[in-house]
Amino acid sequence: MNTLTVGARALELDKDGYLVNLDEWSAEVANALAAAEALELTPDHWEVLELLRQFYAEFQLSPATRPLIKYTALKLGPEKGNSLRLNKLFNGTPAKLAAKLAGLPRPTNCL
Amino acid sequence: MAKSLLVISRQAPWSGPSAREALDIVLAGGAFDLPIGLLFMDDGVFQLTPHQDAKAVQQKDLSANLQALGLFGIDEVFACAHSQAVRGLTSPASAAPLDNPGITRLIDRYDQVITL
Amino acid sequence: MSTLHVVSHSPFTDSRLDSCLRICGSQDAILLCGDGAYGLQQSALHTQGVKVFVLAEDLQARNLSLPDWAERVDYPGFVQLSITYDKVNAWL
Repeated sequence: MNTLTVGARALELDKDGYLVNLDEWSAEVANALAAAEALELTPDHWEVLELLRQFYAEFQLSPATRPLIKYTALKLGPEKGNSLRLNKLFNGTPAKLAAKLAGLPRPTNCL
Repeated sequence: MAKSLLVISRQAPWSGPSAREALDIVLAGGAFDLPIGLLFMDDGVFQLTPHQDAKAVQQKDLSANLQALGLFGIDEVFACAHSQAVRGLTSPASAAPLDNPGITRLIDRYDQVITL
Repeated sequence: MSTLHVVSHSPFTDSRLDSCLRICGSQDAILLCGDGAYGLQQSALHTQGVKVFVLAEDLQARNLSLPDWAERVDYPGFVQLSITYDKVNAWL
């Protein structure tokens, strides 16, 4: 079984590294998930992660790349919501990686 | 040029997998920027009813998902006016009502149709 | 543009055929298969002026008689129809 150790806890991950129990998510967990992807979360990352959680609360699904960009542009402006910046922040796969770090299910509508 | 696709969703929201599957096709197509239209017809128009509670029947919230259509680039969303009228419903703002000849013309406009 | 509508549910227990007839265009046709073949017993069907086909084996299995307003097709005929019409709309 795939696990992520955060402090004294071992959290269950699926085969792609997403949290199995989404309610185990916390900022600490996000940092640990990011570390596993060799990524250090900056305020720029956090802004997108919080937006993703807002997206999920509103629509009950994880966005594919295009809607993620659209939503980010809508909420944070086009200088932040564009594919170049989001790709840069999240190692070229913003929808998949950001959803993982934000404690969302894997986006089902992107390959 | 990608072929355009019309999805006709005609099952009630919580009766089985059809409503969910129709929406998944539409969202997947939208994510790939395909020209996609969505028509709610027959009991499918019940999917558009506001303030439904998916949790009460342990399901995923289809109505919340439907609100994301615009962000997935799906702007062509229609509802069959006849189906709504016989069910005592009025058309919500999220779907443009179409009469029967309007639906015939809608189907004509698309390259392919999937009815679920 | 023409559409071949494929209906496989009986109109006496299911709304698919009715709904299909409501939105059928003048260039369209309906292919009845499976229990959809029972649609031949619905007189309203031919008053619509839409071309009606029925799959031969489903007709035979149900011992239904073929009205003069409908046409019987076998599987190769079905394939041919789906090529002849611009698109196929299967009422799943």
